[in-house]
Amino acid sequence: MNPGDRVRVERAGVTNEGVLMPSTTADYLVIKRDGGYNVGIEREDAEVDVLETDVYDVGDEGEGEDSSVVEFDDDLPTIALISTGGTIASTVDYRTGAVTARFDAEDVLRAVPDLAGRANYRGRVVANILSENMTPEIWRDLAAAVHEEIEAGADGVVVMHGTDTMQYSAAALSFMLDTPVPIVFTGSQRSADRPSSDNVMNAVCAVEAAKSDAAEVMVCMHASESDDVCALHEGTRVRKSHTSRRDAFRTIGAKPLGEVDYDTETVSFRRDYAERGAATLDIAADLADDVELVKFTPGMDPAAWDYLEGKSGVVIEGTGLGHVHTDLIPRIEELVDDGAVVAMTSQCLEGRVCDRVYDTGRDLLDAGVVEAGDTLPETAKVKLMWVIANTDDPVGAMQRSLNGELTEQSRPWT
Amino acid sequence: MSEYDYEDLGLVAGLEIHQQLDTATKLYCQCPTARREPEEATRTFTRYLHPTKSELGEIDDAALEESRVDREFEYLAFDTTCLVEEDDEPPHHIDDEALDVGMQIAAMLDMSVVDQAHVMRKLVVDGSNTSGFQRTTLIGQEGQIETSEGPVGVEDLLLEEESAGRVEETDDGVRYSLDRLGIPLVEIGTKPDISSPEQAREAAERIGMLLRSTGKVKRGLGTIRQDVNVSIADGARVEMKGVQTLDDIEDLVRLEVQRQVELLEIRDELQARDASVGETQDVTDTFEGTESGVIEGALDGGKVTAVPLFGFDGLVGHELQPDRRLGTEFSDHAKRHGAGGIFHTDELPAYGVTQEEVDALKEAVGAGDDDAVAIAAADTETAELAIAAVKERAEAAIEGVPEETRGANDEATTRYLRPLPGAARMYPETDVPPVEPDPSEVEIPELLTERVDRYQAEFGLDAGLAEQVAFGRRMPLFEQAVADGIDATLAAGTLESTTTELRRDDVPVQNLTDDHLLDVLQLVDAGDLAKEGIVDVLTVLAENPDLSAEEAVEEAGLSGVDEAEVRAAVEEVVDRNEEQVEEQGMGAFSALMGEAMGALRGKADGEIVSSTLREEIQKRS
Repeated sequence: MNPGDRVRVERAGVTNEGVLMPSTTADYLVIKRDGGYNVGIEREDAEVDVLETDVYDVGDEGEGEDSSVVEFDDDLPTIALISTGGTIASTVDYRTGAVTARFDAEDVLRAVPDLAGRANYRGRVVANILSENMTPEIWRDLAAAVHEEIEAGADGVVVMHGTDTMQYSAAALSFMLDTPVPIVFTGSQRSADRPSSDNVMNAVCAVEAAKSDAAEVMVCMHASESDDVCALHEGTRVRKSHTSRRDAFRTIGAKPLGEVDYDTETVSFRRDYAERGAATLDIAADLADDVELVKFTPGMDPAAWDYLEGKSGVVIEGTGLGHVHTDLIPRIEELVDDGAVVAMTSQCLEGRVCDRVYDTGRDLLDAGVVEAGDTLPETAKVKLMWVIANTDDPVGAMQRSLNGELTEQSRPWT
Repeated sequence: MSEYDYEDLGLVAGLEIHQQLDTATKLYCQCPTARREPEEATRTFTRYLHPTKSELGEIDDAALEESRVDREFEYLAFDTTCLVEEDDEPPHHIDDEALDVGMQIAAMLDMSVVDQAHVMRKLVVDGSNTSGFQRTTLIGQEGQIETSEGPVGVEDLLLEEESAGRVEETDDGVRYSLDRLGIPLVEIGTKPDISSPEQAREAAERIGMLLRSTGKVKRGLGTIRQDVNVSIADGARVEMKGVQTLDDIEDLVRLEVQRQVELLEIRDELQARDASVGETQDVTDTFEGTESGVIEGALDGGKVTAVPLFGFDGLVGHELQPDRRLGTEFSDHAKRHGAGGIFHTDELPAYGVTQEEVDALKEAVGAGDDDAVAIAAADTETAELAIAAVKERAEAAIEGVPEETRGANDEATTRYLRPLPGAARMYPETDVPPVEPDPSEVEIPELLTERVDRYQAEFGLDAGLAEQVAFGRRMPLFEQAVADGIDATLAAGTLESTTTELRRDDVPVQNLTDDHLLDVLQLVDAGDLAKEGIVDVLTVLAENPDLSAEEAVEEAGLSGVDEAEVRAAVEEVVDRNEEQVEEQGMGAFSALMGEAMGALRGKADGEIVSSTLREEIQKRS
């Protein structure tokens, strides 16, 4: 008896006939009845007859193995679609949970047919992970892949990414690449296996953004709960701010850079952006892997900071204007004396740190803490990893904007 | 309607009954199951739906057809709905109370509860579910109910979420209200064991009674929906939706049998005539300068399409059900594609179409005397789709009865809705883990039929009133009143007969809360209000629901009647009728009693008035 077999199960006077499903466990047989309902039957005292084996080829992708037959249209721009996993364009196999690794242009169009006719597509898989399993190693691979695609002539890049750590990856690529074309991250908050998934609109809007004139690293996700507009967030200023809503992503400290109207397919911007072609393609993908982001909370065991020993960089998510308990200041001083770059951000998220207002702050500055302005804590971590590996003056770099991550003026209404 | 020998015809019918549960919270979130008015909405948002593949890699045809039109759905959200209804938060655990009621219903239907219940997603892309699917779970199997014509098997019991309520069509799609989405719903499907219209009704009645016996089902319009599946031996399975009342079930089954019998008759005749359906054609030219308003209206930018029906002459007008002909079926199919309807030659000339045009039409499509022609006039796309649909339906008529889903009309006839849904519409809801229901604690409640017997035996209610109370919406209130020591006959009479009378007199009885009614009964019980004053006090309360029962008594002018006042009023009546009293003595009692009661306008208890009156008459005679 194997998943995919047609079986008849009798238990306690009830007969169930149908296909044995892979969700079967040691205790329960799971049968898909002809009406479509799954039902779990206790194995104990169940009588099973296999009626027919392999009725359904459970586990294999149902589609044929035909090679891609999508035609290339010279009049359309070429967009590279790069997948790192996540749910947006993956063809999930419900039976095994496996996500197919095949990802050519045809797979993309099969997953999101609405993309057809908007561009020529080149599909590519960099990773096949849940985004919580993202690593700096994959950021390097991703940056290299994007670099290659642009070098090969892509007019824009769309990175399909799980939403949990999308903001970190977008920030990483912002620092690693000088790009002459748009690099647009997108994903979905509601899985692609439901008709209501936000994947279709997000993908369509991301492609439109990738065709636009803004050669920026951006995150393109729903702007509201409605399927009407996607927001374009700068990759270094964006944060996932809700666990489940479609409009989970927010630009912190300002309105989003721009938006894409799903209905009219128009892309518009609120602020200046780097224009297409202005930058020369370049890559600097090295990262210092020993950088930590630590959040200070009242009552925390100072021993929690012991593991920061020997790190090359530490980003602190302090309270308010950028504070920690006075007792921790000597520890910070030790770290700095040891050669670590210690940067201060705020758990307020909105607003910039300022350690000149209160005594604690002044003591922190004396201890050698670097103020990271209004850089978001998560972005600051990625930035510190990058500046330590790529600049001679990481302390100076943390205090100025490299890619829009640190604003000069606080204008949250813009 | 002719009476058929249903056994001879091989009638097979089954029921599908959907009943909303009256639980504290919805099936997959903690929101209340309260209904709201669209005007109370606090937010709106819009969505699109995109069909997805099923678990077995198939896309349902019906779902695909629905989704071809790019429709925008607008949703109304309330301060009683949350992100779960908006499909912006994963569903919570399946509601325990709903599962308990489900298991109770399973027990009453003599069903086995499943060992492990799996929540499934049933694909629904008409927008009535924000997710694009309805969550549905098989919880009971293999049950049975008794009817006077023998047992009827119950195939399955499903616990599902109610869909969002359709508010209206909009320019771009449909507007839905989220208050209804997620209310627990049980669906009970019988086996096709029903063999007569009467048995169909009886089975539906029985199941309805069992459901109401739980005391945990919603009452009122739209809270229970019955679908009836019918086929006869040579016919086909037809699913009829939206059956409003039990009385309709019998008629629907009868009329569906009639429809299938008539369709088979048409089939036999068509086959005997070697009938066939020709190709659809554009016949716009034929109707140039027509005087038919309908056709002329369509000609502006649109066209007229036709399909020749060889050998169909006279049969398109053949009646299938009262006022419904084969042509009406064609029309239903055309309407599904947006056309207003069709014309056919069995009914022409008429509607401004002349005999000359009919002749020209027949000639244009090569139809002769034995043939019929159906035409559709609309904008180009609609006219083409509509006539293609008519062609398909006409071809099916030569084969017999098509399987389909039909909708009930008011007169218990039915109209074509859509093809029967396919089976490939289901895949697992991965956001909700399977549950292992434990039916060991479930108790079967007293059935309403048992309750009727008890009310007669225990409280001496007559059969009619006992049934009214037991099946009535205020049964729990009645139970409470009786438990509070209020006389059962008084309680039953007030809660059922009195409220019915008030409703007939256009008193807004719906404003009366349980507390109003119970308080009034208690005032009567305590002797603070005469029975005769109940009608007046309830009327005041219904019109001023903010008043307390005591305030209403005062408002009705029924308060503060003590014995002295009664005596004064009675004395006045007796004085006024002195002569009569002297002549007739106690014989004048009943006439004077009426007068005395009138004078006191229900302020005083009848018994006190009558004993006072007796005394006063005795004094004078």
